[in-house]
Order: sequence, then C-alpha cells, then structure tokens
Amino acid sequence: MTAFLPLALLTLPLVAALISFAMPEARAVWRDASNILFALVKLALVGFLLLQAQGGVDFEWRYEFLPGHDFVLRVDAIALLFVTLSTFLWLIATIYAIAYFERGPNLARFFGFFNLCVLSATGVAISGTAITFFLFYELLTLATWPLVVHKGDEKSLTAGRVYLTYTLAGSAAFLAGILWLKALVGPLEFAAPPDLSPVPTLTLILIFVLLIGGLGVKAALLPFHGWLPQAMAAPAPVSALLHAVAVVKAGAYGILRVVHDIYGAGTVADLGLGLPLAFLASATILYGSLRAVMQNDIKKRLAYSTVSQVSYIVLGASLAGPIAAVGALVHLVHQGIMKITLFMCAGALANRLHIKAVTELDGAGRLMPVTMASFTIGALGMIGVPPVAGFISKWYLGSGGLEAGDAWVIAVLAGSSLLNSAYFLPLLYRAWLLPPQGDHAPVAELTGGWNRMLVLPAAVTALASLGAGLFASFPFSPLEWVSLIVDAGYLR
Amino acid sequence: MIGIEPALLLSAAAFWPLALAMLCVLPKLGPRMITALPLAPLPALAAAIYAPSGTEFGLPWLLLDGGIRLDDTRAVFLGGAAILWTLAGLYAARYLQNDQRAAGFALFWNLVLAGNVGVFIAADAATFYVSFALVSLMAYPLVIHDRKPASLRAGAVYIVLAVIGEVALFAAFLMGSAAAGGSILIADIRDTLAGPGTDPLILWLLIAGLGIKAGLMPLHIWLPVAHPAAPIPASAVLSGAIVKAGIFGLLAFLPWGTTWPISGTTLALMGFAGLFIAALLGAAQSNPKTVLAYSTVSQMGLIMGVCGVALATGLPAAALLPILALYALHHGLTKGALFLGVGMASVWLRNSRPFFLLLMGALALSLAGLPLTAGALAKAAVKGPAGEIGAALIGFSALTSGLVLARLMFTLPSATPDKNPPPAMMFAFLALVIAALSAPFVVYGQILGTDPDPTADLAKKIVEAWPLGLAVILAAAAAAVGMQAPRMPEGDLLEPLRRTALLAMAAFHAMSDTKASSDISTETDDAPPALTNIERIQAAFADRAATAVAFALISGGLFFALI
Repeated sequence: MTAFLPLALLTLPLVAALISFAMPEARAVWRDASNILFALVKLALVGFLLLQAQGGVDFEWRYEFLPGHDFVLRVDAIALLFVTLSTFLWLIATIYAIAYFERGPNLARFFGFFNLCVLSATGVAISGTAITFFLFYELLTLATWPLVVHKGDEKSLTAGRVYLTYTLAGSAAFLAGILWLKALVGPLEFAAPPDLSPVPTLTLILIFVLLIGGLGVKAALLPFHGWLPQAMAAPAPVSALLHAVAVVKAGAYGILRVVHDIYGAGTVADLGLGLPLAFLASATILYGSLRAVMQNDIKKRLAYSTVSQVSYIVLGASLAGPIAAVGALVHLVHQGIMKITLFMCAGALANRLHIKAVTELDGAGRLMPVTMASFTIGALGMIGVPPVAGFISKWYLGSGGLEAGDAWVIAVLAGSSLLNSAYFLPLLYRAWLLPPQGDHAPVAELTGGWNRMLVLPAAVTALASLGAGLFASFPFSPLEWVSLIVDAGYLR
Repeated sequence: MIGIEPALLLSAAAFWPLALAMLCVLPKLGPRMITALPLAPLPALAAAIYAPSGTEFGLPWLLLDGGIRLDDTRAVFLGGAAILWTLAGLYAARYLQNDQRAAGFALFWNLVLAGNVGVFIAADAATFYVSFALVSLMAYPLVIHDRKPASLRAGAVYIVLAVIGEVALFAAFLMGSAAAGGSILIADIRDTLAGPGTDPLILWLLIAGLGIKAGLMPLHIWLPVAHPAAPIPASAVLSGAIVKAGIFGLLAFLPWGTTWPISGTTLALMGFAGLFIAALLGAAQSNPKTVLAYSTVSQMGLIMGVCGVALATGLPAAALLPILALYALHHGLTKGALFLGVGMASVWLRNSRPFFLLLMGALALSLAGLPLTAGALAKAAVKGPAGEIGAALIGFSALTSGLVLARLMFTLPSATPDKNPPPAMMFAFLALVIAALSAPFVVYGQILGTDPDPTADLAKKIVEAWPLGLAVILAAAAAAVGMQAPRMPEGDLLEPLRRTALLAMAAFHAMSDTKASSDISTETDDAPPALTNIERIQAAFADRAATAVAFALISGGLFFALI
C-alpha cells in the first residue's frame, strides 16, 4: 500500500486538473472548492508521509516504461522537503489565485494547467532517476507555457515564445547529457549513484556542462536567464508560483541532484568543476542584483531578484562541504516562501491600487498596511536582515564558503546584500515614509469575503519566513530539518 | 524586585519594548503610545540594577541557538542607556504629544530601544547582529521624522553608511565564527581572534562595521548631519545611547590582551584625530545640535583612540573595559542631558534662565573634564590605559573640548518670553542632569574596585587642567571682542562626497528605465541635474557596465579555475 503513496501525490493534482478542465464555467464555485480541497488533501498526505519518514522509511514506486528505462518515484528526505514546500505553497497560491481572478475568461484552462504545473513540480521532486526527472521537467515546461501566455496579449505571447525557446533548448541539452551518461555507466538512480570511474575525465566534464547548462536555463543561470524577466507578462499568481517553487526551483533542485546525487560533491570537486560553477553562480547573483536595481517595474525588479537569489542555491550546491549544502537546501525553502510573499503582494498592489511601478508606490503602506507589512518582511529577508529567514541562508552559505576555503564567497554575499538593499529599501521608503500620490482611499484589506484572500496568503507566508528565521534552531524549522538531512548523509 | 528570576528580567529588558512596539501599530492605540515611552526601558533599568553579574539566559531555539547575558561592563552600558532612554522618553512623551507622526515615532523608538538593549545583553554574534540591525535600520525613520529636505538628505547618508556597516559586520561575524570553529558566542569569537594567526581583515571589518556607528573618523560623516536632524529626544538617545552600541561592540569583540602594533596604532591615530578634528569642526558650527553631534564624534574618538592604544600595547580586557564603560556612561548621560537642554533653551522661563545656563555650563565643564566633576573622574580613569602619549593627548584635548562646548553655549537659542517649559520635560532634563553629574561617582567603586577620590592631588589636577582654562579664556576673549566663529559646512567631507555621488547616481539612473521622476530627486529634494557631456559618456558606459561586469566575472572565474 505504501508503495502507491508517491503515486497518490501525483494523482491528486491530476484529478484536480481534470476537474478544472471539465467543470463548466457556470460551476466555477465547484472548481474553486475542488481545487482547495485537493490541495488540502495533498497537504494531509504530505503530513502523513512526514510522520512515516521520521521512522526512516523511503517510499518507492517503479515501473519499467521503456526497456532499460525505469520510471521511479521515490520519496526520500530531500524530495519530501521540496514536496512539502510545493504543497504548502500550492494551497496558498490556489487560494490567492481564486481571489485574484475572481471570475474571468479562460479560468478553467488556467486552473487546469495550474494543477498540471504542480503535478510536474511534485514529480520533479520525487523522481528517483534522471530520466524520470527529465519527463516531469519537460511536462513542467509544457504545463507552464499556457500559464505564461494566459493573458493572450502580444507581450505574453512573445514572453511565451521566448520561454519555450530557452527551456526546450535547455531540455534538449539535459536529455543529451543524461542519455550519454546512461550509455556509459548504466541507469542514473539518485538513490544508487553510478560508478563514474571508468568514464574519461573529459567526457565527464562535457556531460556535466550539458547537464548543468540544460538545468541552468530553468534556474536562470547567467547567460540563460533571459526568459525569466520576460515571463513577468504572466499574471501574478503564476509569477508567484513560478518563482517560488515551480520552474526556477526545478532547475535549482536538478542542479542539486546532479551535483550531489549523480556526480557526488567529491567528484565534482576532483574534476575541478565546483569552482567554475560557483563563479558562474556568483556572477549571476551579482548580475541579477545589478539589473534589479535598474528596474522601475516592481515585478521586473522581483524577477531579476529571483535570478540573483536562485543562484544562491546553485552557489551552495557547488561549494564542497556540508555547511554549504545546508545553506543551499535551506535557501530552497526560504527563497520560496519569501519570494512568493513578494509576488503575491505585488499582485495585490496591482489588483487593488493599480500600482505597478516602483515610482507609484508612494504611501502604499498607508493604503494597504497588511500587504506592505508582508512585503516588508519578504524584502528584509531577501536583503538578509535578521531575524527573517534570508539571514539564516546567507549565514550558512557564507560559513560553507569559508569551510570550503573559498573566502571570496563572503565578498559575493556582502556585495549582493548591498545591492539587495539598494533595490528593496527605496521601495520600503516610498511605501511607508512618503505620502500617497493622488487621492486613494485606504483599501479595506481584510473585509469582503474572498477579497481578503488577496492579502491573507501573503501575510501567512510572510509570517512563515519570519518564523523560519526567528525560530531557526527550533526542532521543526527548515534549518533543523535540512541539517538532519545533510547529517544523515543524503547529500554526498 | 526580589523574587523575579534575573534571567527573566533580562529577557524582558529586550522583549518588553518589542511588545510595546506591536501596540504602536494598532490604529486606535498607536498615537497614544507616545505617552508610554518612559515605561519601555524600565525592565532594562531593573535588570541593570538588580540582575547579578553573570546572569545568563539561553534561547536555544531562537535564531542560531542564541542567548543573552549580563556582566559588570554590560550592566554599566545597559543601566546608562536605560536611564537615558527613560528620561528622554518622558521628554518625548510631552515634546511630541501633538505630533501627527506620533504613532510612527513611538513604534520606531521602541524598536530602536529593543535593539539597543539587545546589543548590550547579546551573548552571541547572531543576537548581537539582529539587535544591531534593529538599532541601525529603525533609527532611520527617527532621523527623517520631520521630513524636511535636510533631514531626508541626512537620512540618505545615514542609511547608506548603516547598511554598509551592517554588511561589514556580517562578513566579520561569519569569518570570526568560522575561525572559532563554528561557535557564534561572542566570548569564543573574541578568544579566537586573540589567538595566533588571526586575519587582520576580520579585525578591520569589525572596526569598520562598528566604527561607522560610533563615528570613527573618517566614517563619521553621517553623524553630524543625522543626529541633529532627529527630534530633540531622539537626538539625545542617538548621541547618548545609540553610538554606544558601536563602542560596546568594539569592546566586546576586539581581541584584548594581544598586541596588534600596526592595527592598534592605526586605530589610535584615527581615534585621536577624531578627538581633535571633530571638536574643531564642531566649534565652527552654528546649530547647537550640530555642535553637540561633533562633540560626540570627538568624545567617541577619544574612546576609540584609547582602544587603539590598548590594542597596540596588548592591554588585557580587565584593565580596559570597566574604565571605558565608565567613560561611556558619563558621556552618554551628559550628552543626552545637553541635547534635552538645547531643546528647552527657547522655552525656559526668562527669570530663571541663569539657573538653566548654570546647569548647561556645569554639564559642559564636566564633559570637558573640570576637576572635581564626574567628567574629571572619568577622564582621570581613562588616562590609565591610554599610555603616556595618549594621556598627554587626552589632557590637551580639554582645550578643544572646551572650545566646542563654549561654542555650544553661544549658539543656544534665546528664550521666547511667552512660553513655559512643560513640567514633564523640565523634570526629565533636571533628573538627567543629576544622573549625569552623579552616576560616575555612584558606580565608580563598584566597577573599578576602588572608591573615587576626586580631591586627591587636587592642586596638581588643577594645574593639569590648564588647557580647559585656556579654552574658557579664549572663548571669553572671543566673545568680549565680538569675534565670529569660523563657519564650516555640516558634515565636513559630506558635501564634496555628495556631489560626486549625485553625479554617479544621475548616470546610473540614466541607464535604468526609471522615468524622469526618479528615486533620487524625491529623496534628496534636488532636481535631477541636467546631463553634461561627461555624464552622457558615463551613462553610455554604464549601459554596458552590468554586462561588462558579468563577463569579467565569468571570464575571470574560469581563468582562475583553469590555473
């Protein structure tokens, strides 16, 4: 029975997707209800899995779908971390999306693909082999495209085209990489890493470049980041999910898997590949921050911030040593909850006050205090101001860099923190300390049925990011959880 | 008080202001919270007095497994700050009673207070860092409280330097903690730094990060513009208590007991340079609050100069920290009282104005080190660890201190006849004057182990006070012949720096897609300067700068990876 639990994780969003597609618009309430219900059931299931996993049980379900290619779903500790994050944020984002769109055209399509997107993200998380990972990774690309172009205007369509071009090229490189490696060393199971010793060094390096290059597209590593700021044309709930758990995280998660579960951190270091990857990640961190400073559009600023922040994860993965690995994994969680907060707030501001540019933000704190308070927590977290979660990530990444003997990481983190302040503090200044432009009346944020769900989800994730930092040493915090995973040797 | 767990009292010291801060957010209650300001520091005061030295409290699930503790030095800092915060809070409750931004003021006041208390009781680097960030960032709204263009400019300078200081501290703590084998306890980090093979870079990151807050020359440029920009009670705590967060950090983290000839001498030079230059710059100001702010830079320069000497000679902590704590206590209370006094100068009753001037004069002379005063006691103590040259410099500095404080007396605004000082403000000021003039005598025996004897060698001390006498004579002579003090711009180096920065920012904004109404123009109240030819070139370069930086990083990285 327990073998089918991983399958159930995928079935739930699939059913939710089918219901959403099939439900006529007149029954939109039922669609909303079933979406929330399925998200809740999945959260309960994840909770059950968490309890089971405490006993050290890994769930696995396998099926040979092509000769020699096993389709393996495996819920290990890292997968569970990612699944918990995505399930929790799925529920939040679903509630937010329902409030955001209210009743509009094409919502059946939207929620259908929204669920498929979550299915793919879950699949990516619990893939047991590289080829399974690839299948879900591809599905994710295809399921996200209709969301990116949801508005259907010129800008969205262009963004969608760019998105597909980038990600399909990346997928091709990634597929070439895994097939090549599989031909050389046999099945690439994350739980049972292949023996790479017979493969010539140069080939290993080439394959590594193919794999990381392919995954780097979704993780928005320089120079493959171009699609991400354009994808801002998508509606806010999509951006929120895309940036927090779905697409960019799938890329970062894949890089973690490749570095730690296919190659092994030791091998990566021996091949001399860790340092160049760390440099690439650092360059992306600084470049993304630098570009973010220049944006006047709030969502674009957040998008470049994502480019920068996701590379923290890659940086942590590429530095050898357990502390850096803790930093990478914990930032996977922290960045997710902080960034989804920021995007949901940006969406709420655009929806209620039609504020889209930084320069229009004056006095927003007085008009929508709850939203801006959530935004402030998220932004301070991104800068790394304690006690918000971002500080914990940066602390571990910095310590990891020192542990690995790469003290220059501190300079990158410091530079990034300065740039983060440069692009977030002016927003907070405008929102809280300047008087509002024009004659907006304060928005009734917490009244009016579903309307409040535009505000509350961000408040919940903001509190979560505050809690994850403030109570970082509490037994069930992301940090403690990640430390357990790393101590237990899940990452080699 | 007996019966309350000391550890609980200590945690209440930090958490009580935070709780009050949360109340300030409530729409109805918020504006009224200004009257509750004097209550906020009371647990801190109680902890400083009643909690025994060595009280510790672990907060194992907070942050990175943090904790708080109290010892004698910390108690002096905590107690001094709590007295000042209480009385300044009382003053503020009346001063800002009808202010339209009272709720915001109360909120940030409480947050800064919580941070300030946290700095003094943090047992680990993470708690210290959180508290320090709270102090640094939340003081910004206090600085720009009146939203005047000058305040906004001062705030911009302040926040930029504060963030740079935060980042420097973050790097220092990371490296220090890594060197200490992952421990984040302040004691462990300090002991590791005192061990062999410590990277001076850590030391200097600490000095930079903490020195910015403490006004170490030349990182002081924010201080003479930011402290006067805030409302009077906020200026008092900024200059009296908040700069002490930087000083306390230096005392807590620097590796006392090991010799650092080069770093120590450099720090001593910077400190003593500040002692004299800032005092002279202050004597050339016309705003009494700016004069006082420069005097703060000067006095903190003295403390950091002594720190430098102690580092250079390898003086142990026990011989240094209590003395500097005493000096900081005296300066904090006196400077706070002087600021409150400046705020009252125009509303003090006409007929008792001589009494008011007498009080201000007494504070000023005490600060300059007149024999028999509390200031002389602190100054005599601080000469001990300062070494021969340092002691001579400190003795001579009474001249410049005297000049800057004489300047203060001449810049005080005159009384307006139809106003009376509100009793609450009067009480706060008088209480703080008494505290400032007596506190060093009260705690002297407890923290230095010997009883104060201000009358010993009195004749010698009076002779040694000649620089102060000279200052008084000079000031009196200048006043008699009607000589005008020279004028220096507030923030000395700031103006040239600001012009350069504005130029750079204009170029930077030219490349962003920000429209004409850019961030800069609203933040500094300057129209965006029209682009000159040079700026166009800069902008054109900057357009490609981001790409160029990225490519340089990548290619550099790959290059180094290959070799």
